[in-house]
Amino acid sequence: MSETNRNRLMLVIAIIMAAIYLFPLYWMYITALKSGSEMFATPPSFWPSEPQWATYGFVWESRNMARYLWNSLIIASGAVVLITVLGVGCAYVLARYRNVWVDIGLFLILMLQVLPASLMITPIFVGFSQLGMLNYPRLAVIIAIAAKSMPFFVVLVRATFMAVPQELEEAALVDGNSRIGAFFNIVLPLARNGILVSAILIFMQAFGEFVYSKSIIQAVELQPASVGLNSFMGPNTNEWNNIMAYATIYVTPILAIFVLLQRRIVSGLTSGAIK
Amino acid sequence: MKRLLSSVRDGRGFDIVLVAFPLGFLFLMAGLPLLYNVLMSFQEVDMFSLGTFLRPFVGFKNYTDLFAQPETWPILGNTAIFVIGSIAGQFLIGFGLALFFWVNFPGASWLRGLFLVSWVMPGLVVGAIWNWILSGDFGVLNFILKESGIISGNIFWRSDPNYSLYAVIMANVWLGTAFNMILLSVGLASIPGDLYEAAELDGANAWQRFWTITLPMMRSTIGAIIALGLIFTLQQFDLFAAITSGGPNNSSNVTQYWAWDLSFRQYDFAKGATISVIMIVFVMFAAIVYVRSTRHEVRG
Repeated sequence: MSETNRNRLMLVIAIIMAAIYLFPLYWMYITALKSGSEMFATPPSFWPSEPQWATYGFVWESRNMARYLWNSLIIASGAVVLITVLGVGCAYVLARYRNVWVDIGLFLILMLQVLPASLMITPIFVGFSQLGMLNYPRLAVIIAIAAKSMPFFVVLVRATFMAVPQELEEAALVDGNSRIGAFFNIVLPLARNGILVSAILIFMQAFGEFVYSKSIIQAVELQPASVGLNSFMGPNTNEWNNIMAYATIYVTPILAIFVLLQRRIVSGLTSGAIK
Repeated sequence: MKRLLSSVRDGRGFDIVLVAFPLGFLFLMAGLPLLYNVLMSFQEVDMFSLGTFLRPFVGFKNYTDLFAQPETWPILGNTAIFVIGSIAGQFLIGFGLALFFWVNFPGASWLRGLFLVSWVMPGLVVGAIWNWILSGDFGVLNFILKESGIISGNIFWRSDPNYSLYAVIMANVWLGTAFNMILLSVGLASIPGDLYEAAELDGANAWQRFWTITLPMMRSTIGAIIALGLIFTLQQFDLFAAITSGGPNNSSNVTQYWAWDLSFRQYDFAKGATISVIMIVFVMFAAIVYVRSTRHEVRG
């Protein structure tokens, strides 16, 4: 078999495998377009006979999705800002030096990264309620998410800083820059892309965060879209087309960002987690 | 004072300021809760004493009570099945896919990256989709299995105690496979190609090359990925909340969901803290394995 034919065959197999793997996603988009009766038809149809585009508008209005998504956006943006402001400097220092203290710091950070949110929420909730933080539930969630996700961010951004040649910074210092000047004028611009990709990853995670929001935010007006989706799915629900429409509206922006920035996100992710 | 300022602007002080705030924040928001968790597991906590630190100490009563409950051991068993099943599924499928995409053909890396959408989606959305796919009467999975002759009657994945845990495992395998595959691909790409050329010259077939070169060269990657899988699997909460809520009758309950359920559904914060402490010890152990197996890379 020639090289081209082999490549074509491999590509076809790969596309088939990707199609099988991504079938759940396809099923979400298709179900959202089905009517109430078509959804429960046996055998199920794999293409909607009469796409019900009105479902999106109906769900958007009736479930108050604008409010939920706005809350998700506030929480995710707040967490990203807090994590970036605190995490970039930490990652820079941990990348610049190599000694026992850096090893200890890295070890502690990696340890904090692994604590499951659903186990940490008990002490965080009790502590926050004692401090009166539960009166500002969205802020409390932002802080909790920041504490949970910052270690991951630091590990990823540290890998970016390691790739910035230290000679450039030293040259800037010789030229009369202060440490602050060299950091902001030389090192940060060079690491900008890596920081951006890591921030986007954190944003996508925080946009879908569930445990902290569910436990801390009691007021419906302040809940994010993940909690809204959870309360939409009762134990005996049969509104699956509406739920899938909700899920579609919720997840499509994230998927769009991911597909657009796929190459950068994948390489950023792999450089941090494992080499 | 002036010397301090100039050190912050242009010396060691700069580094110390940069690192002190984040570490202080992490200590306050992750380290202290961890210690507080241990403290609470030795206290009697109820709705009335929630607002005070001075609660009556009860020694190991929370721990002995916990293990006296009839559901504790089954739930620990479920957790073990969930972890082993998820990791095995994710790793084997992920490794298979990584080996396939290792053969370089045009479009391979783009298609491979596309698999990661399962990983960037919010866990609750993944749970909602699988909840619908696994539905008993109208679920598409039952339809496909019946059409292909694997089962004869509908399986009630979510409400049959024999299957509910496996329903969540299936969803979790789907969620994590892509991540495993990407990391394994990175490991595969770092094996020097001339090793294979040499083995081929010596007459080793594909199977022998896999066992004598690929697997041994991937040892540290595989160790790290299994440890990461353990860490991620023990963090999985959203799928339980979205698919089975731990039911029916705790048949699909696992410790990380149970701890939350005890605290926030039954308001038994002391028990929730106790089970958290036990599980965090496990997770820490996995983390040490992970750090050890990636140590030289992390240090750069």
